[in-house]
Amino acid sequence: MSRGAERTIDADVGIVGAGPGGMAAALELSRAGLTVAVLDEGSRTGGQIFRQQAEGLAARGRLAEPPSHEEGHHLVHELGEAPVQVVHGATVWDAKPGRLWFERDGASWLLRCQRILLAPGAYDRCIPFPGWTLPGVVTAGAAQVMVRGFGLRPGTRALVAGSGPLLLPTVTALLSAGVEVVEALEAAPRSAMFRALPGVIGNAARLREAAYYLKALLRSGKRLRWGWTVFGVEGDGRVERATIGRLDASGAPIRSTARTIDVDLVCAGFGLVPAVELAALLGCELEWNPLRGGWTTKVDEQQATTVAGVYAAGEIAGIGGAEVAMAQGRLAAAAIVRAVHGRQVAPRTLARARSERRSADAMLRAFPVREGWFALADASTVVCRCEDVSYDKLGKAAAIHGADGRGIKMGCRAGMGPCQGRICGPSLQALACRAVGAPCTGAPMDRPAVQMPVKPVRTATFLDAPQG
Amino acid sequence: MNRDTRMDGADARRIVGFTFDGVACEGREGEPVGMALWAAGNRAVRHASTDGSPRGMLCAMGICFECLVRVDGEMVRSCLTPLREGMDVRSGGKP
Repeated sequence: MSRGAERTIDADVGIVGAGPGGMAAALELSRAGLTVAVLDEGSRTGGQIFRQQAEGLAARGRLAEPPSHEEGHHLVHELGEAPVQVVHGATVWDAKPGRLWFERDGASWLLRCQRILLAPGAYDRCIPFPGWTLPGVVTAGAAQVMVRGFGLRPGTRALVAGSGPLLLPTVTALLSAGVEVVEALEAAPRSAMFRALPGVIGNAARLREAAYYLKALLRSGKRLRWGWTVFGVEGDGRVERATIGRLDASGAPIRSTARTIDVDLVCAGFGLVPAVELAALLGCELEWNPLRGGWTTKVDEQQATTVAGVYAAGEIAGIGGAEVAMAQGRLAAAAIVRAVHGRQVAPRTLARARSERRSADAMLRAFPVREGWFALADASTVVCRCEDVSYDKLGKAAAIHGADGRGIKMGCRAGMGPCQGRICGPSLQALACRAVGAPCTGAPMDRPAVQMPVKPVRTATFLDAPQG
Repeated sequence: MNRDTRMDGADARRIVGFTFDGVACEGREGEPVGMALWAAGNRAVRHASTDGSPRGMLCAMGICFECLVRVDGEMVRSCLTPLREGMDVRSGGKP
């Protein structure tokens, strides 16, 4: 018996992520008679968008749930009934085609599978602003986790700021928890509302969803301020005040419009960034696609990556939301079944994925990353939180070593801490370019450099890793 | 337990005691340590290495490593680590 054989599981298909894409794929694969194991880092099935409440908790929100969550609950229930092994609390730290190594409860595990489907989702794009390291500043996603996952009322008076379609769900989650939302600020100009319409019209699910959020906002008496954002946060060891103001056409702060509000919670999210690190580690080709969040995993029209036996669905292949993820998950599953059983992919499965992709792209076009946002940071603003690198230090390093990824890392260690650049990475090059007076919206000069372990794990996890 | 920091509704989870830097706190069994700390009013869970400034939970989903704490001697992400009775939680230093 090879070392660690008792901590090895086998399946036809190994899926990373139990969100909309992973769940939809797992169900289809299991229906086709394949054995499936799903690894998820969270404690419950559903992922971020279809997040389930903690077991034993039945917190009552003040608002009804958004309509899409019904479909989410339905998927979670179906997956629970299906003969699919879902492993919660699993941190995948290494991967090769056909092999996924993960840590769970401090123990080292291996999943052996014929095919891998990556559906790890995305995370919030963070834009550094003065005071954003103060406890009480969280991402928009974090606010949702706290409220919808764990029934917390994370603050009493909140500022929500950022950009994109996830701002409204953040506002309604906070309202539902009984948090007063003092200001809700969308950095995009008001015209974005009309530009986003093609993404909603003609897509029943998105239309229902948008109607739900707008109704909830109207009822609360709050209105979204367009073209505004957070300029800075202050407080003695925690958030006590925030400065907000208008942005110019480039997205840069107009300082003369600044005013201060009393808040104890700031939720910020400037769109999403695909979690591509496992794809990069597996050697899959990545594509730069600023519309879909930056670095995305290159896939063919049936969700296959450039590495044989590795597929990708949902945000990892480009930001698009739950509907895209589910459609792509089903498509990837059909492609895998085709590869195994020689059964053809149904044309409607393909068509659905394409039409969801089109709607999502139309929506994303209204909320681009704006160069001016990178002017929110001042000299002392921390840009890399792990290594405590200030904007000032970053600029000095960029001036000497160059404003590309390698120069930045060599010069000041930004992006080299335990988050491995997940938080600061998407902003570092733009900030470095701005600091040295270069234009900062171009394509990045480097691909994300990813090494095993993709997330820090215990030394024992390496040493005890099952072979095979 | 600070009731202002939790939503209304039924909660069948057991209330368990733990300590944060030696101070007694209460939370719900199985919820992430980070959530229990937040609900108990501890938003700062570690201090930055350079200037000692307080840091707390940022992403709440295991990505940022800002909420690192030491639980029974081991450095963990508090947003992902389930709370158990009697845990000895210490604020983390440099990640």
